[in-house]
Amino acid sequence: MSRLGAFLDRLINGPSRDGGAPSIRLPEESSQGEQDIELWPVEPTTGQPLPPRQQPGYYPGYHTLGQKDFWDEATRKLVLERVHDVPAIRFFSAEEVTLMEAVVDRLLPQDDRREAYRIPIVPQIDKKLYENIIPGYRYEDMPPEQEAFRLGLQGIQAVADHLFGKSFVDLGPTEQDQVLLTLHDGKPPAGEEIWKQMAVTHFWVQILSYCCEAYYAHPYAWDEIGFGGPAYPRGYYRLLNGEPEPWEKEERRYAWAPPPSCLSDADEAVGHGDITYLPGQAGTH
Amino acid sequence: MDTPLFGPFSGPKPGEHMLGPIQKLDVPMRRYGRDDEVDFVIVGVGSAGGVLSQRLARAGFTVVGFDAGPFWDVERDWVSDEAGSHKLYWTDQRIIGGSTPITLGENNSGKGVGGGSVHWAAFTPRLHPSDFRVYSEDGVGVDWPMSYWDLKPYYELLELEMPVSGPAYYPWGDPHGYPYGPHPVGGTGATLVKGCTKLGIRVSIGGPVAINAGSHGDRPHCIYRGFCIQGCKVGAKQSTLYSHVPDAVEHGAEIRDNCMVFRINMKDGRTTGVSYYDSQGQEREQRAKVVIVSGYAIETPRLLLNSACPGFENGLANSSGMVGKCLMVQAGNVVLGRYAEPVRMYKAPPAHALTEEFYETDPKRDFARGFAIQTVGPLPIAFSKQMIAAKGVWGWGLRRVLMDYNHWSAIALLGELLPWEDNTVTLDKDVKDQYGLPVAHVTYNMHDNDKKLSEYGRKVVEQVQWAAGAEEVVQEQRFAHLVGAARMGSDPRSSVTNSFGRTHDIPNLFVCDGSLFPTQGSANPGLTIQSLAARTADYLIWQGDNILHRGRELEGTPPVRRDLSPRGTSGRGVPRLKSKGGSDTIRSVRN
Repeated sequence: MSRLGAFLDRLINGPSRDGGAPSIRLPEESSQGEQDIELWPVEPTTGQPLPPRQQPGYYPGYHTLGQKDFWDEATRKLVLERVHDVPAIRFFSAEEVTLMEAVVDRLLPQDDRREAYRIPIVPQIDKKLYENIIPGYRYEDMPPEQEAFRLGLQGIQAVADHLFGKSFVDLGPTEQDQVLLTLHDGKPPAGEEIWKQMAVTHFWVQILSYCCEAYYAHPYAWDEIGFGGPAYPRGYYRLLNGEPEPWEKEERRYAWAPPPSCLSDADEAVGHGDITYLPGQAGTH
Repeated sequence: MDTPLFGPFSGPKPGEHMLGPIQKLDVPMRRYGRDDEVDFVIVGVGSAGGVLSQRLARAGFTVVGFDAGPFWDVERDWVSDEAGSHKLYWTDQRIIGGSTPITLGENNSGKGVGGGSVHWAAFTPRLHPSDFRVYSEDGVGVDWPMSYWDLKPYYELLELEMPVSGPAYYPWGDPHGYPYGPHPVGGTGATLVKGCTKLGIRVSIGGPVAINAGSHGDRPHCIYRGFCIQGCKVGAKQSTLYSHVPDAVEHGAEIRDNCMVFRINMKDGRTTGVSYYDSQGQEREQRAKVVIVSGYAIETPRLLLNSACPGFENGLANSSGMVGKCLMVQAGNVVLGRYAEPVRMYKAPPAHALTEEFYETDPKRDFARGFAIQTVGPLPIAFSKQMIAAKGVWGWGLRRVLMDYNHWSAIALLGELLPWEDNTVTLDKDVKDQYGLPVAHVTYNMHDNDKKLSEYGRKVVEQVQWAAGAEEVVQEQRFAHLVGAARMGSDPRSSVTNSFGRTHDIPNLFVCDGSLFPTQGSANPGLTIQSLAARTADYLIWQGDNILHRGRELEGTPPVRRDLSPRGTSGRGVPRLKSKGGSDTIRSVRN
């Protein structure tokens, strides 16, 4: 690309990702094998699989990391560390990691992302459990966080075994979702001994929250959802009507539907509405 | 522009303790010796502790303020990042239970100098006059041992000291105006204003909120980046870390950070000081003439209970049995509306518009008391957790909803829940913290009036969202704030302290923080906590040594010490509206 071309590209598509290639739009190819096609989201009218993208979401060309020079030093250091230094596994055993990866792949699937642009979730959960970075409260019907995760994994394995006679990791995506859906609904059909030691809906919210705390803390996720990311010391100027700042992007929506293999696209209350009280965890006011 | 003109923004200069980008802690802090007996020990340098230490030090007393967390250097320690702000919250283990448990940690508990005022959204409405007399007026809860008019001069002082930005005319409760101009409206505020206007509900736009609308001394104006709850690196949102603690240090107060007070020491029915673990984990003692506990509604009762000793077997100041009882939270249901056009609710302070139109008891409703409606602006992680609860989403459904983050607007209920004796802070028999101390066990149950109020309020907020044009409306049930659990009262048989926070049982032991609230209204508690602290300070200064002995104290009300405001806050920002009830606002800003 000529220098003028590169300049125009940056003008149109915004600054490049941190340390990466300029944001030239690459042909959307998959680096994955054909066997993963059933995991890809689809075009809703034709049902055609949509190959994984570098950046899913409705803000093509928007890169929060491209704004890193405008961030304060402490924030820049923290966010770049998060991107470049994925913590080593220290809490989970090798077997648990395999199972956790399989579970998390269904709880917060990233099959619409190219391999290189997936967000590490399990290492961040592992770090929290190993370093005992806890929320600061525990339900009286729950064990400590570390124990809850170990027990929960056993519980998921027990349900997989009960429903399909197989380990969770060896199940297909629909079967895996079926197993997880029993936890979401608050009615796991097996592992009674385990669920006696902890409330299944509390575990469900706990593991999902840990996933979100890792995924939506990552600049790639901010790019996906059009969140401004760190904003000090510059701040924002266009507060009204959802208008983007000069360095942000207008939304450009496209239609997609989850892969037909998935069971996780419905809005259905946790515990199927039987649990009437599911208190919010995050401070908002 | 890809990069700033002069290269990436750099950090602070070495050796400077920064409070925001400009404000520095530039006087050496006084250090008291191991054997010194100081006038006041304050346990917890948060909303109340910050104001107390400032007032008492300025009046010439010797003060040591303890905090279990750090004395933040905000340029180095804080980040403009949601996940990276975990350390601002009290995340030591606590156990929660009851039929409707209260989540703690980032929801409502601060740690480190500034305490809760570091992570509050900084809405600063006053309580209404009726809030002090809910038993007399509505036959529920209990009356305060003081009136609105007793606290009003302190509201006016703190609104200048923080300072508060808001409209020139605020119509609810005791109508009044704010000394600094209102903020511009963001996406959620626009939704609230639109919906309310359509329904004929009055709204307050751009405040009241303790965020600088213009620069104020060495504290810059707001930059509308939306990270209020993650600690304001900008220095625009008030925290006592910015507004009062520097003045305290300048006047000789010592702030002993990373020190966990684990026991209030007693001798002959009087306190002699505190025992604590210092930043190295060493057990130490600090003697004091007066101890003030300002640890907020969970750590305050926990410390009083953990300090049980011969003569005080059920905990200190607990002859009434009310220590740890009547803990209160407010109904904080977050009602989220999805709009066809983008909202981008991460911009502007989460707190910037509200209505108190439903605040007072309405005989047409089937419950007592009322609620406020306020903007909130959850960042992506908080929003994802709200959607897990509100919509039950997971997997691809979760990804899909979050891709629409910019289309959602979050408006919250802030409803008055009543004090009940079965809502408690007790010591957990089985679980110990990192110091080996029993942790707090927090039990909470909503009662009939509470459920009716929160259900009714939620429906009103939903109507506001629909009226503003939302295409989908969902809600997350949630609680906000923590108060009560060591309440003030005129009867020692049913309360822990008098209206100045002096415990009924121990003459030189005080409580001063949100735990004092007998009831809570539908106002965010921060302004009231800081105002009560200024009033308690005036009481202590006025009493002097008389307070050390039962029976020698002066009777009556202390004079309002307007001369003790932090430097540069008195005489700035003139409220355009004098409220009724004999305000001496104008005099107060000229002195």
